[in-house]
Amino acid sequence: MTDALLTGDLPLPAHPDYLRDGTSLTSWLTTTDHKRIAILYAITITIFFFMGGAAITAVRLELFMPNGGLLTSDAYNKLFSFHGIIMVWFFLVPSIPNTFGNFLLPLMIGAPDVAFPRLNLFSWYLTIAAGAFTVYALLAGGVDTGWTFYTPYSTMFSNSHVFAAAAGVFVVGFASIATGVNFIATTHMLRAPGMSWFRLPLFVWATYATSLIMVLATPVLAISLLLVMAERWLGLPIFDPAQGGDPILFQHLFWFYSHPAVYIMILPAMGVVSEIIPCFARRRIFGYDFMVYALIAIAGIGFFVWGHHMFVSGQSPYANLIFSFLSFVIAVPSAIKVFNWTASLYRGQISFEAPMLYALGFVGLFTTGGLSGLFLASIPVDVHVTDTYFVVAHFHYIMVGGAVSGFFAGLHFWWPKVTGRMYPESWARFAAILMYSGFNMTFLPQFVAGYLGMPRRYHTYPPEFQIYNVMSSSGAAVLALAYLLPLGYFAWSLFYAERAGNNPWGASGLEWTTTSPPPPKNFDRQPRVDRGPYDYHPEGESAGLNPPEVQNAREVR
Amino acid sequence: MSTQNNHARKTPWDFWRRNSLIWAALMALLVLSLVLAHVPMGSFTVAAGIVIAFAQSGLICVLFMELIEARPLIRLAAMSGVIFVAVLFALTLADVLSRVAGR
Amino acid sequence: MSEATGLLREPWESFERQSEAGTLGIWAFLASEILFFGALMLTYTVCRIENADAFAAAGRATNIWYGTANTAILLTSSLTMTVVVQATASGDNFRRLILACLTVTAALGTAFLAVKGFEYKDDIEKHLVPGAQFALTEKSAQLFFGLYWTLTGVHAIHLTIGILLVLRLALLGFRRRLELDRNPEIRVTGLYWHLVDVIWIFLYALIYLPGRAS
Repeated sequence: MTDALLTGDLPLPAHPDYLRDGTSLTSWLTTTDHKRIAILYAITITIFFFMGGAAITAVRLELFMPNGGLLTSDAYNKLFSFHGIIMVWFFLVPSIPNTFGNFLLPLMIGAPDVAFPRLNLFSWYLTIAAGAFTVYALLAGGVDTGWTFYTPYSTMFSNSHVFAAAAGVFVVGFASIATGVNFIATTHMLRAPGMSWFRLPLFVWATYATSLIMVLATPVLAISLLLVMAERWLGLPIFDPAQGGDPILFQHLFWFYSHPAVYIMILPAMGVVSEIIPCFARRRIFGYDFMVYALIAIAGIGFFVWGHHMFVSGQSPYANLIFSFLSFVIAVPSAIKVFNWTASLYRGQISFEAPMLYALGFVGLFTTGGLSGLFLASIPVDVHVTDTYFVVAHFHYIMVGGAVSGFFAGLHFWWPKVTGRMYPESWARFAAILMYSGFNMTFLPQFVAGYLGMPRRYHTYPPEFQIYNVMSSSGAAVLALAYLLPLGYFAWSLFYAERAGNNPWGASGLEWTTTSPPPPKNFDRQPRVDRGPYDYHPEGESAGLNPPEVQNAREVR
Repeated sequence: MSTQNNHARKTPWDFWRRNSLIWAALMALLVLSLVLAHVPMGSFTVAAGIVIAFAQSGLICVLFMELIEARPLIRLAAMSGVIFVAVLFALTLADVLSRVAGR
Repeated sequence: MSEATGLLREPWESFERQSEAGTLGIWAFLASEILFFGALMLTYTVCRIENADAFAAAGRATNIWYGTANTAILLTSSLTMTVVVQATASGDNFRRLILACLTVTAALGTAFLAVKGFEYKDDIEKHLVPGAQFALTEKSAQLFFGLYWTLTGVHAIHLTIGILLVLRLALLGFRRRLELDRNPEIRVTGLYWHLVDVIWIFLYALIYLPGRAS
């Protein structure tokens, strides 16, 4: 049944796949195989995800009642800060790039590994060290600045463990930079023969664009936190207004990273969805070139819009105008992508396997999040809803509805390739629908509560907002269940599920031409590429039932 | 590489000749910036120091770091850092300068 | 280990491409470093725009002779580093020249740190560390020195890393454990060294030159 037998080649000598090529703990902790490092990252970020999730569970329980009573204000501040710091830097930023990016980038471009394998492993150890700092900050008593570390509160007034938390984020930044450098060099230098730039799958483009942001934005975050640490630890009066320092400058530095960081989170999810939608619609992606330009445009323009986080900070009104205009501009490439995903479905033969459900959910939730973002780019509305639950709902639609849906879409899509096992389809579809419903139950009411004026980051609120908070908290319970389900059925599938073939989805793309799971060096023969990606049915032809002719890992005669 | 003979072995002097000239230029610029810093020319004094710093780092990047003979890709990578620092400066100063002027 | 193929590493099949990837990788990292120090210099610039007079007064309090000597030292170390990299790239087995220049480069870097140490000692004795004992009375002069310690401190950490990298190459070279000709590691180390030098050139203009003319 394998491709090799069908085409009459002699079977290659059997050798262990990457999972069985060495089974000791040491062989995992010293590995330089990008696929194993991806697994190490996956385990790490799963742990962080549930840590951040546990913190927010307590927060949502507290918000059930207007007067709370479960948590003190202090504990509440520390829990949502911990949630934000963990979820942003230890789950979302490394989520797709460091797991799927690591696993798939070399496979998709036909390379045996990333450009600097040892640097790749080093980056994982940095992530672990950084996580240790941050978890220490929690265990030692927590940090109460929110994930944004705004000065002068973080430097002059907070009595919590700002230094340890900031140090953790500072270190994880270097892990991010190392990964970015690695992926950039890999994409430029290790593409297989024939894999020209415009034959790259969109996931590779997305990972590449993400890497550019990681390399160019993260150092500025590092500096902003370094200055906070210097002020707290050494007493250097950098942001102290009494000494002539400028607290707003901190916000400039912080958001110069943290706004592009939103695109670090969302671009890889866009890449995942761009792989899945063509596969389950059996269509070529609509407007491949424009998808590429849009990815690069988002990554580039993302650096010009940070000031829209600072409309009420005391920033000059002229700067507000510039940043507001630029923030509207970045909606254009995002809209192009949404239109193109939708157009790729047109006249497709759509099937609704779990990855597709997640991917379609992504498109809807990302669009909602993006449109609410336009409200926030316009200054009058933003002044009204700044620091309300409207903002909370907006960015959760992008980060949870968008990035996390994309992560789960990719997890289901490539699970057979990563583990060699299929996952249970019915359970997966159920979890996908549950996640979508739970998500909307949680965050849709927050738009309303926020627009009516409920501020974020308070643990008590006027009773008229209770209805929205009860809806939100119940939705969060559904969402929590939907996140726990995959943990169960994925674990089950590792032992009991049927084995996956090389290409269970009939997908195009080089990663599907090798075995599931792949051998340690990815390909037994050097792949040669002679066509573009998404070789499904072109526009104007109706979709048939037969799988596409898969790109072949062999010389073309 | 300019000679016909493939094995025209270089001598250590080949490496010192060009690079010492560049080094001398760098040192001359250092002395110049030291002197200009003591000449009262208002804001031009500040500008002089920065311009000379750019000239010196230009010499180092282009000649010592061999950007002059690097592939376009490498030059682009080198430029990207400078371009995005320029973005950081331009948009932040758009706020700061108009804020200070409005005081 | 006498041929360039001895330098080939996983996952590369071609030494040329491996070498290019090293150069691209370090330049991407240097772009990152440019933004790292760029953000620090932006902090300095904004504070200076908002506190121009205090920065001039505080700039005068720095010791320009230490600063100028250190700039000269680093510029010279860049010269020796360039000779190392070019001699390596020629592939003509300039072992003695390469090792000598590596040693001189590391020594110049260490000399920089030594001068810096004397300067720090002076600064501490003159109470130029922000805090209750601070010597200057101008408002915001503490801010200048807060940035002075941060900028020079972060630069000194970078230079220390550079010295360790150069020493590593020199030691491995002396023990014949390192292929010197065409080794990409030497080029990569050299590029990093030069960038640390470039950053210092800007720090010199920002820290030592202000306020000298008035």
